[in-house]
Amino acid sequence: MGKLGVVIRREYLERVRSRWFLFATILGPLFFGGVSIGQIVLTQHAGVSADASHIIVIDETGTTLGQRVVANLGAGVTNDTSNAMLQVVSRDDAPQAEARALNAVMHDKWVGYLVLTDSTLAGATARYNGRNASAIQDIDHVRDVVRNAVLTERLVGAGLDPARIRSLTAVPIQLHTERVTDKGLGGSGMSGAWFGYIVAILLYITIVVYGQSIVRGVSDEKASRVSEVVVSSAPPDTLLAGKILGVGGVAITQQIIWTLASVAIVHFRAPILRALGASESANIPLPGSISLGAGIELVLIFLLGFFFYAALFAAIGATVESQEDAQQASLPVTMLLVLSIMFVGPVFLSPTSTLARVVSWIPFSAPILMPLRLALIQVPLVEIVGTILGLLVANLVAIWVAARVYRVGILMYGKRRSFAEIMRWVRVS
Amino acid sequence: MSDLAVDIRDVQKTFDGHVAVQGLSLAVPRGSVYGLLGPNGAGKTTTIRMILNVIVPDRGTINVLGQPGGAKGVTDRIGYLPEERGLYRKMQVRRVLRFLGELKGVTRRDVDRRIDEWLARLGLTEWDQKKVDELSRGMQQKVQFIGTLLHDPELVILDEPFSGLDPINAQALNDTVVELRQRGRTVIFSTHLMDNAERLCDSVCIIAKGAKVLDGSVAAVRAEHAGRTIALATANGTSDAVERVLADRSLVDSVNREQRTLEIELATNAPVQQLLQRLVGAGAEITRFEVVQPSLHKIFLQRVGAVGVTEGMSGHG
Repeated sequence: MGKLGVVIRREYLERVRSRWFLFATILGPLFFGGVSIGQIVLTQHAGVSADASHIIVIDETGTTLGQRVVANLGAGVTNDTSNAMLQVVSRDDAPQAEARALNAVMHDKWVGYLVLTDSTLAGATARYNGRNASAIQDIDHVRDVVRNAVLTERLVGAGLDPARIRSLTAVPIQLHTERVTDKGLGGSGMSGAWFGYIVAILLYITIVVYGQSIVRGVSDEKASRVSEVVVSSAPPDTLLAGKILGVGGVAITQQIIWTLASVAIVHFRAPILRALGASESANIPLPGSISLGAGIELVLIFLLGFFFYAALFAAIGATVESQEDAQQASLPVTMLLVLSIMFVGPVFLSPTSTLARVVSWIPFSAPILMPLRLALIQVPLVEIVGTILGLLVANLVAIWVAARVYRVGILMYGKRRSFAEIMRWVRVS
Repeated sequence: MSDLAVDIRDVQKTFDGHVAVQGLSLAVPRGSVYGLLGPNGAGKTTTIRMILNVIVPDRGTINVLGQPGGAKGVTDRIGYLPEERGLYRKMQVRRVLRFLGELKGVTRRDVDRRIDEWLARLGLTEWDQKKVDELSRGMQQKVQFIGTLLHDPELVILDEPFSGLDPINAQALNDTVVELRQRGRTVIFSTHLMDNAERLCDSVCIIAKGAKVLDGSVAAVRAEHAGRTIALATANGTSDAVERVLADRSLVDSVNREQRTLEIELATNAPVQQLLQRLVGAGAEITRFEVVQPSLHKIFLQRVGAVGVTEGMSGHG
């Protein structure tokens, strides 16, 4: 076995044997599986909290609008409408009624109060003040109930029978989506989206976690002075390459185990969901929509991105000795990753936009955002090739710089080096 | 095959405007124990790192084991014990040693056999599954020492090997150096402890401020500096008359008083015979009057004291 092999093996085995690896590898899928299944279970069980109905409804419209709202406000697990209290007031008495309601909410007797005015009847505004005013689902629920009540009020005014209105307006459309690729229809659109989202987050976590592991590894070698012995036995470039490849191997091993575990969870999702009392939902993240080709591209882009970041992290590790310094020094690189993760939302929502295209080309963000797009849509081949070429160039530059910083850095002890000094190492070494 | 294990010619190395090594030439004969002596910051570690090809000289040539510096495979024939010692603290002893051995090209099968031999020899057999940080400091030093010698190197470089060693480990190191020489290996060690150097080395080189002060075999160096120091012992102590002789600056430069012996440094150009005659004339009952060769320690102070000690680059020689 060559020196590179010896270094790779040490980096790989020492990490895989650690308790931390075992822990993360077993708990990872449980955590992600738990989060995705838990999400489904929770959404189906209780979207809107019971708080949404525990409110005072102040109706100053002089119509039956308030009654209709209270009747339909049922929320929470018990769907109990009796929680809400209706106060029909004249316009003149409204301010006092509101003041009393505010007082009651402040003393925790009620969660909030809803004010229905002529403006509400006109379809423009209603007011809600409450302790749950930031709870998105509660507020959506209240708004939906008010909107339906106004609609019903108008239709009754137009002479329609309430029973007839119910049957006419009950249209709970479910939009079933399916992706179209060059090969035709390709799996559920929404499930692919969630899969892509999870892939992007996982890649981000992997780069951050293993990047930090590299920083720690290199700075530990320096602090413990092992580097002295090691560099006298193998060229620094070999050590750097061995470290990056070894740690990369650990990341891949973990991903493979996670993927297999996820496949198993997806395979047995029906009994799991049944056991938790939820029905099988279309929202479970299924990798069904990703082709083998896209999968290979995804892995390749991720690997290139990983090596790119790993080289930068290794260079940082070579400039520091203590863990605190390591944290600080790796901040700029971590920021690049955080910036990339900020684009996950926009790219997720419109993966074909120009923004999505641009950020999936930039080497810093490509390893996270291109896999996301690959999972969401069929990315044109030219873009994939462009991304890969960009990453290759970025890798060459990063490894070249890292090798130089590493070579000088691992034998420099003492104070933390300034950025200018590190740049001088790059120039002269 | 060259009969020099290390041949350094006119080597120069500068870091950020600070000259660490200037115009240094060294010749280390094969099969010898060679001492690289100098105060802290003299350039010892820089020189060693250049021999190891960890850093490249700005100027000059370095040949190691008959091959130019950086030639393929040379580092596998060198064993290096750095001054700043360190091992992977979280690794098991056997795994660290396997890693260090394999990194030097020892095969997997050989490496385990050699580790067993060394662990048994240094009494660490039952510790091989323990993590390095569970070992005492002394045991860690032994493990590091095994790591240095596991691949049976032709050239062994020990940077300040005695610093921080307890007397038992120091003796073990001593014995090992002697044994390495018997087996025809070359040993270079740097130290600022002259006693060790004098006891162990065949040849020495004293460097200060990155430049060579003197070099040669220990015997030659001492002979070269001989003739000015006289060991004197008397049966009746030193009378006032004798003290007056010793205080004569035209004759005696300095007197170093030890238990029963006076170590007298003759003044420049003062004849030995005259001192003897004056002492006898002053009534000294002489039991010993010997022109001695100075210790390395003395030569070191004499030669380096003038050059002084400079600030080190990073606290290393």
